[in-house]
Amino acid sequence: MKKIANIFLLVSILLLYFPIFYLMFYSFNSAGNMSHFDGFTLNYYKSVLTDSRMLVIILNTIAVALISSSIATLIGLCGALYLYNIKEKSRKMLLAVNNVMIVSPDVIIGASLLILFTLAGMSLGSVSVILAHIAFSVPITVILILPKLYSMNPSLVDAAKDLGADTKTTIIKVIIPYIKPGIIAGFFMALTYSLDDFAVTFFVTGSGFSLLSVEVYSMARRGITLEINAISTIVFVVVFTCVFIYYLISKRQEKLRGRV
Amino acid sequence: MKKLLLIPYALWMLIFVVFPLLLMAAYSFIDLSGNITLNNYASFFSSNYIQMTLSSFWYAFLITLFTLIVSYPLALALNATKRKTIWLLIIILPTWINLLLKTYAFIGIFGKNGILNDIFAVFNIDEIQLLFSDTAFIIVSVYIFLPFMLLPLFNAISGIDNNLLNAAKDLGATRVQVFSKIILPLTADGIKAGIQVVFIPSLSLFMITRLITGNKVITLGTAIEQQFLTNENWGMGSTIGIFLVIFMLLIMVITSGKSDNRVMKL
Amino acid sequence: MTTIKLENVAYTYGDTQVLKHINYTFEDNKFYTILGPSGCGKTTILKLIGGFIEPNSGEVRFDDKVMNKIPANQRKVNTVFQDYALFPHLNVLENIIFGLKIKKTSKKEMDKKLDEVLRLTNLEEFKNRNIGDLSGGQRQRVAIARAVINEPDILLLDEPLSALDYNLRVDMQYELKEMQKRLGIIFIFVTHDQEEALGLSDEIIVMDRGNIVQTGSPKDIYDEPLNRYVADFIGESNIVRGTMVKDRVVSIYGRSYDCIDGGIMPNTSVDVMIRPEDIYFGEHNKDKLNVTVDSVLFKGVHYEICCLDEDGYEWVMHSTKNALLGSKISLNFAKEDIHIMIPGEDEENFIERLESFQGEDE
Repeated sequence: MKKIANIFLLVSILLLYFPIFYLMFYSFNSAGNMSHFDGFTLNYYKSVLTDSRMLVIILNTIAVALISSSIATLIGLCGALYLYNIKEKSRKMLLAVNNVMIVSPDVIIGASLLILFTLAGMSLGSVSVILAHIAFSVPITVILILPKLYSMNPSLVDAAKDLGADTKTTIIKVIIPYIKPGIIAGFFMALTYSLDDFAVTFFVTGSGFSLLSVEVYSMARRGITLEINAISTIVFVVVFTCVFIYYLISKRQEKLRGRV
Repeated sequence: MKKLLLIPYALWMLIFVVFPLLLMAAYSFIDLSGNITLNNYASFFSSNYIQMTLSSFWYAFLITLFTLIVSYPLALALNATKRKTIWLLIIILPTWINLLLKTYAFIGIFGKNGILNDIFAVFNIDEIQLLFSDTAFIIVSVYIFLPFMLLPLFNAISGIDNNLLNAAKDLGATRVQVFSKIILPLTADGIKAGIQVVFIPSLSLFMITRLITGNKVITLGTAIEQQFLTNENWGMGSTIGIFLVIFMLLIMVITSGKSDNRVMKL
Repeated sequence: MTTIKLENVAYTYGDTQVLKHINYTFEDNKFYTILGPSGCGKTTILKLIGGFIEPNSGEVRFDDKVMNKIPANQRKVNTVFQDYALFPHLNVLENIIFGLKIKKTSKKEMDKKLDEVLRLTNLEEFKNRNIGDLSGGQRQRVAIARAVINEPDILLLDEPLSALDYNLRVDMQYELKEMQKRLGIIFIFVTHDQEEALGLSDEIIVMDRGNIVQTGSPKDIYDEPLNRYVADFIGESNIVRGTMVKDRVVSIYGRSYDCIDGGIMPNTSVDVMIRPEDIYFGEHNKDKLNVTVDSVLFKGVHYEICCLDEDGYEWVMHSTKNALLGSKISLNFAKEDIHIMIPGEDEENFIERLESFQGEDE
């Protein structure tokens, strides 16, 4: 039984990774297609890395992700602190609204924001994309910070007040340090959603501004281009490295904590 | 202080969540030339749109079903491993690769000269054109949604106290009974959450339908995108959008339970 | 020196009236204990004094200044919380100086106070530890150090010993008592443990369902409990129905006993309370109250002997002598060990009666 389970797990993982490795493998194919491997080449990497338009798009993607998740985390932090402090009934209602936003399909978020931006007379581009990304990230950060607040012993807040701290000092010196892991998790989750987004950006971006996913979409609609494979490989390597480093750091911290 | 904290969050939610949805609702009553009308709703109830909605639901149902069928045993297998976190991380890792890139890979895999047909050739199976078929659409969707379904299931399964299972066995339950009487009911919330995070997005997929099926499959999402960005008929697009929101709320109510699992991706 | 006055204080949470009508004055830098079962409102009184909640009606006064609206951070009161509420992201030292830092105390003064407090609480060698690495007793000391370093006029302690195991709890009781004497401030200690209350306090306040039932020194409350509730809550007791014959004579089971209480109308039905340790047994004697030994439990210092009287009522006594199971014995008690309680009498009338009767006595 156990053996079958392990085999099933391994096969599933292989299948999960197969498309990714498939892409990576053909990124070195000099034949220029994804069916017959002719010979090894780095041409597609060269063309991605020398394409200044492509480089700008990659930078845009990273910048939008960092800016939108930072702002979203701040707003989400305010939201979580507020929700923590209000009565159960109103909190449930506001959380329901928050939840609707999280579950909302991308098309709805994208289309409704497109209407908003157009009616507001905003030109579609970097600003509208960043605003949209913040919009779908805020509820996520709230959801990640709130449980951390609830895991906090409420008498910590009383203790801080008891020792002379006003509300502001209590938040800065006691609450925020305590919920820091939640804040960080919220930030990274917002970052992930932003990097992963396609549909919302597709709706609210204009002709002058593009992110990687939208660019890949228009390339892919034209058919197979191995530049996409090269980009995939680069993305995979970067993501894998980041996750690996994160894993090592968290392991080390665990060990350090274990020793004290 | 409480009020100061409220301002950014409430303002944001109002301007970027509530207000846009209200605008969308308003737009659903406006026709192409800007007049107030109920025609959009009339067209939505025409046979064309009803058929499209039904087929969208049918595909979403199939995608959710197959994702659940694959994910549940996978979550069980994952929970049985010694180093759960590492295996979980490995399974979750592909979600950090933009889903466009993953979808694109399937264009190559399912293509006429793709690797799938190469494999079929080895076994003397006739070459098939999987790309641009609805089967391909379902396979790719299941592939994309698998980790999202897996997480709430895994959380639910790994949250079961081992002693409960031992107690059930101690009381004479067979392995099948342990599963059907203990594990399944205790993971009901996880299943609901999983269904929620797969079914709703499945209704609204439009990128995969375009790339993989070449417009053969039209979901509610595809229709909205079409109306908004190609036909520039925002009124009709908003009408479909409003229905999508209503369906979403219905599904949320049906599957309500602990539903904050979707963001447990990390 | 500060006095704290609670005047007609009431507090409601949701639909429950947690405090009904509280009047009390804390003064003279004594060690006060608020004693009662959980849910009696004792912690609520601490929260009112600490400034974490406001009364719905009535006034909380410090030295005649009304404090109702003054928040916790502006009161010279500090609290040792039940679960200690130590900040997990700060180490021992950082926790202790948290309050001083907020008041922007100078480094020199801070070091001086810190030195004193660390010595007082025996924490010198732990000052750089993380909170997570401390034992329960050490955590408790940090919580106390963190509170007293601010030199409060009043220290509130919310069941601070409940998380400790028995031996440590006894040690900490001595230390707390010692600390209160050295600091010379009011300690208000909340507990449901009667032993703690008897051992620590100068004054005990017994509470029941949002009301103060009886107040007084541990000895007063133990020896002269106002009613069945107090008698049962503090120490063990045998309580039987009786009738007052006249001053200094009470009738139990139709047999008259001399006692020292009076000022009660003859023929009033009363509760008669006798502590188990005040009963000693003798041979069967038809002129006395006779019982049958039902069970004997060895308790280390004494035997706990349960007996049944002829009416089937249970009597508990503590004796250093063992009694034979099933044997018939007689119960003896001195007249000053018979305590008469009038059901329904409140503390005011109780004290009045005691005073007037004793006055008559002289």
